[in-house]
Amino acid sequence: MNTGPYSEKKVQDYLQEEFIPVKSECFWDKRSEAMKQFGVSWTPTLLVLDATGREHHRVVGFVPSDDFLAHLKLGKAKVLFDRFRFAEAIKEFTALIEEHPTAGVAPEAIFFLGVAEYWNSHDPKGLRRALDTLVARFPQSEWTRRAAPYGQIPL
Amino acid sequence: MSEIVWGKEVQEALARAATGHKPVFLDFWFAG
Repeated sequence: MNTGPYSEKKVQDYLQEEFIPVKSECFWDKRSEAMKQFGVSWTPTLLVLDATGREHHRVVGFVPSDDFLAHLKLGKAKVLFDRFRFAEAIKEFTALIEEHPTAGVAPEAIFFLGVAEYWNSHDPKGLRRALDTLVARFPQSEWTRRAAPYGQIPL
Repeated sequence: MSEIVWGKEVQEALARAATGHKPVFLDFWFAG
């Protein structure tokens, strides 16, 4: 039986369609081999991995339902980004931002959209656009502070 | 499409990821 965010049809459909979902049990009295392998020390910990076992996205602690689907989409986008599939990553980041504009991961997605656009086109304006979007929508976010150097880039 | 079909073995999921081109979503949960 699926509970919490897993009980929502949108989450079920996306998770089943886009990922290979697997659960790993954790116990108080003994750290499992899987916990050691992936450096897990608290639950829930959610990881997005590629086939080599490389980690692309990690979430530690409870995630509210509203944010959960956004995390899944960010994980998928980051796998593409890390594999230098920037055109596909741009589509995924863009869709995430449009579909989940107030999600906790929205600032991170905006930041990485700018970076993916830069890598895809070699035009730094994408970085500047990311900063401007972050300043307008998430002025207090750390991702906005991380993007501050891009203010030097002219549009 | 409804209920999530959860795998229980991480290595098996990684092997499936190698052939199916989907990433793995791994949920570490407290069982007791």
